Amino acid sequence: MPVSDPEKLIAKADKLTKLSLTRWSADWRNATLLYEEAANLFRVAKKNEKAKEAFEKASKGQEMLSSPWDAAKDMESAAALAKELGNWNEVSDFYRRASELYMECGRPQPASDALVKAARALEDTIPDAAVQLYNEASAILEEDGKEQMTFDLYCAASSVYVKLEKYSAAATSLLQLGLAADKCNATNSQCKAYLGAIIVYLYAHDFKQAEKCYNDCSQVDAFLRSHQNRCASKLLSAHTEGDIEEIKRLAQSSTVSNLDHVVIKLARKLPTGDVSAVKTDAAKEEEEPLDEDDLT
Amino acid sequence: MTVIDLVMRVDSICKKFDKYDVDKQKNLNAAGDDAFARLYSVVEADLDAVLQKSEAAKIEKSRATAVATNAEIRRTKARLLEEIPKLQRLAFKQVKGLSKEEREARSDLVAALKDRIEAVADGNISAAKQGGDSAPSASYGGIKFGSTYDGRFDDDYFQQTEESDQFRQEYEMRRMKQDQGLDVISEGLDALKNMAHDMNEELDKQVPLMDEIDDKVDRATSDLKTTNVRLKDTVNKMRSSRNFCIDIILLVIILGIVSYLYNVLK
Repeated sequence: MPVSDPEKLIAKADKLTKLSLTRWSADWRNATLLYEEAANLFRVAKKNEKAKEAFEKASKGQEMLSSPWDAAKDMESAAALAKELGNWNEVSDFYRRASELYMECGRPQPASDALVKAARALEDTIPDAAVQLYNEASAILEEDGKEQMTFDLYCAASSVYVKLEKYSAAATSLLQLGLAADKCNATNSQCKAYLGAIIVYLYAHDFKQAEKCYNDCSQVDAFLRSHQNRCASKLLSAHTEGDIEEIKRLAQSSTVSNLDHVVIKLARKLPTGDVSAVKTDAAKEEEEPLDEDDLT
Repeated sequence: MTVIDLVMRVDSICKKFDKYDVDKQKNLNAAGDDAFARLYSVVEADLDAVLQKSEAAKIEKSRATAVATNAEIRRTKARLLEEIPKLQRLAFKQVKGLSKEEREARSDLVAALKDRIEAVADGNISAAKQGGDSAPSASYGGIKFGSTYDGRFDDDYFQQTEESDQFRQEYEMRRMKQDQGLDVISEGLDALKNMAHDMNEELDKQVPLMDEIDDKVDRATSDLKTTNVRLKDTVNKMRSSRNFCIDIILLVIILGIVSYLYNVLK
């Protein structure tokens, strides 16, 4: 199709929507149809910039026609084109708008899907915005009571946090995964999430946090009775004893290999830093109570 | 009684009757110039929020929620403890309209705040680690192959000939190979178990989705049925045999009239 046609369609549609002396009310129905046609033609002709603008106008038209579903769909197409163009701010804005429109329709699932698409697009370029989008998407799903869908989101959020080296935030996401899994009685995912959180803390060389986390998680029945619990306790005891061989052997074991990719990579890199320092800390703590007892 | 104790008591009394203190409410807005006061109030507000969360976590019945809340509390505590050095530095700065005693009181305030932050409970209870260890060993120790061989054959009871030596060596080799084979099988079984668990959870996830699809398809089917019935009625009305016969009879009458006229005119 020649390029001039979609331009003419856009011009016609613009004329239909501009109010003037001869036109007292904008004809959104026809205008929206023309915008959508033009946008598709642009997309086929690979004129992404123009196609994006056409989709934006089409979406606005659909809003005027009070069909938020179609408006959201057009917004999503615009956002996908913005992604190809690399306008990251526009990507996140468009997807957010699309998500709001979906919520207007009362369909929280497509809303959170839109946010997830945005997060995936922004993962490499603006990871901070990406985690925020993941968290918002998880919040929407949890409000709707669909915690099962949130597992993947929390996993992705925690891997982005690990890339950003915000290890405590990554571990917190994994614990939230565990919470969601608990509500759905998905014990396997829950235990894997807890083991993952403990490994993240150990990787960040935060042994105290890892121990506290382990103590907390042991109070959950499902975790207590699982493989992952044993693996975690062995890891922690290997750390206290400074047994590097044992740590490496555990990291190769099948329990750890069944976890998420990112967590496996962290586990294989254990032990970080000086394991013997951890050992001396633990030993010092044991000596102090002995001193008190010596006050005979 | 130290200054810290005094300060803390006065603080708690003031907080209790804060809403009656009109002047203080006005001054809260005026404390905007003083960086220390601002930061202090922000940290204190955060600390109160954390305390509330820790109280909630204590009475929380669901352990998993408690775990997640405790992790959040710990993160917030770490963040607040980072703010404390900043506060201390601000406390030593000279601000206009502040006497020397008040400056010293401020550094005491900062120390008291630090103690309060660290005193927030974050569920740090050491759990029964032993409980986890004993159960699995009971379940896995029970699998014993009926082997009474423990590596020692008393040399008093028999003498080794070459044949029996070779036999024992062969036995050892085969036993080692069997152990290796069993290890491989066990790893494979682990992988299978993990996959099976994941499949189970995936199917559980899909059950509500299938229910939704079911509902929607049911609605669509009933809509289609009604539409079909109406369409059939309309088509029948259009093509009903009565109309057809009427059409044919009228056509015949018209032809008859035309032929009569033709004959008359001829």
